[in-house]
Amino acid sequence: MSGYNVRKLKEKLFLFLIGALTVLMFSPLFHIIYSVFNNGIHVILSRRITFITGRLSDGGIGPAIIGTFILVFLASLIGLPVAFLVGVYAYEYPESTLGKATKSLLQIMLEFPTILVGVFIMQMLVVPMGTYSALAGALSLAIIMMPYVAVYTHEAMRQIPFEYRDAAFSLGLTRVKAVFRVLVPMAKRGILTGVLIGIAKVAGETAPLLFTVGGSYQTYQIGITKPVGAIPLLIYTLIQSPAKEHHEMAWGASLILLLIFLGIFIPVRLSLREVKV
Amino acid sequence: MKRRQINLRHILMPFVVFVFALFVLMLAVYVYNSMPIFHREGLDIYLKNMWKAAEEPSKEHYGVLVAIWGSIYTSVIAILITLPLSLAYSVFVIDYAPKRVKEWLIILSDVMAGLPTIIYGIWGVFVLVPLLKKIVMQPLHNYLSFLPMCSYPPITGFSYLSAGVLLGIMVAPFASAIIREAYQMIPFTYREAIYSLGATRLEATKILLGYIKPAIYSGIILAFGRAIGETTAVSLVIGNTFNLSLALFAPGYTISSLIANQFGNAFIYEYMTSALFAAGLVLFAIGLVVNLAGIYLLRRWEANVRL
Repeated sequence: MSGYNVRKLKEKLFLFLIGALTVLMFSPLFHIIYSVFNNGIHVILSRRITFITGRLSDGGIGPAIIGTFILVFLASLIGLPVAFLVGVYAYEYPESTLGKATKSLLQIMLEFPTILVGVFIMQMLVVPMGTYSALAGALSLAIIMMPYVAVYTHEAMRQIPFEYRDAAFSLGLTRVKAVFRVLVPMAKRGILTGVLIGIAKVAGETAPLLFTVGGSYQTYQIGITKPVGAIPLLIYTLIQSPAKEHHEMAWGASLILLLIFLGIFIPVRLSLREVKV
Repeated sequence: MKRRQINLRHILMPFVVFVFALFVLMLAVYVYNSMPIFHREGLDIYLKNMWKAAEEPSKEHYGVLVAIWGSIYTSVIAILITLPLSLAYSVFVIDYAPKRVKEWLIILSDVMAGLPTIIYGIWGVFVLVPLLKKIVMQPLHNYLSFLPMCSYPPITGFSYLSAGVLLGIMVAPFASAIIREAYQMIPFTYREAIYSLGATRLEATKILLGYIKPAIYSGIILAFGRAIGETTAVSLVIGNTFNLSLALFAPGYTISSLIANQFGNAFIYEYMTSALFAAGLVLFAIGLVVNLAGIYLLRRWEANVRL
């Protein structure tokens, strides 16, 4: 009987432990969100609209916000078509050697250290051009975005029941038409999810921008061959400054970045049941 | 009629080949740019802890051992923290959480996985490091300073331990996602069978986790890969000092934080850029091997699994 009690006791302890560890795993997330709101909100409230539109010397992060939008837009322009077509290839030719290799490559690129991409682009583009540029930053981000979108495209198309494929071919469509006119439109929701997840991911990237975009926070520069700023990079720079005032701005900028991220991520995530990260 | 037949493969292939070429080019760029330092230092670049930057190229000497050590050390700490968290989370979500809670816990872990790393970074610098310094480092140093791991006085709090803990928090959702999915795949009949033998929940969970061991390993390996490549958050809390040490509370370097810190002005010196490329090459190799191993293990398990 006492052996049974020990087992019961161990079971109770075990249940308590996994509950406690689960809470422990998420407590940093809640504390992060709390800290960012708590420290960021008064900076933004005290400076109002200046914080969003002003230059760094006015106490605003306007150029960084514009920079992030330019970078994400350019990166999408470059990365999305490639990612989409590579994802379609991985779906259409899963048994071929190249198809299998493509799937492995996408997995590797998904996990690849992003700083290495930044250094690569610096050597290939920034050094020859002699200047940091929005283009260089966008290319780095495009390389990082590519595997996310490709994997989601692949997954979304795999969800389509095989009968639709048969039906499309039985109408006498060529493979090109069957894929692009029938199957892709059916998977467009999943593909769009991938696109948005990819965008949310690269909007928050810092490491690939360190040596590519240059960081420009005092002027609004428009032009893909000119240096630009970005919100994550600005935060990184501000944290390393010794000035207290800069730290406050970093919190404010973090709040903006967090809102952008959650604004894209949460609706996308809620609109579907299960996401593969 | 013949001309209208466009082959799908011909449309898609160039893009696939382009991506492969890009990846190979990237590897080539790292190898090519590492060459000058290999010729100069030989293997010492990886076996010594040295960072002598000088205007005269003849006086320059580099060895990135400390960064390699730091990357591995912090990632191992991260795994030690991640493993219990992600195991407990997976078991809790699949076995005990009510349906609504379960959905939310999965969403939360996805949010954690996607959260911009710089936000972990700012929280790490201003919240986590002071906290760890106060409640972990100082007491341990006061009472256990005879242990080599606790011997270093926690002056700033920026240290291997801080970086490892922050990384552990950051990679937990990645390990969790893999372990959770594997744990969910175990058929209900197995659970029934185990409980019908009169097992307690603890005993049942132990047996069930035994079934998905390979998936747990691959989750750990892939989380290690994430941890070792992380740059921004780590470089903010590691302290960035050339300090080769077992001491948990001592500041150090990782490969990625070394590159992040030094690459910006490396071009002033003759060999520093090359030394950093050589460091990057190690990270490249580790990233490649670790990820391939993790993916291979997971695929083999998924293919052979007879649950």
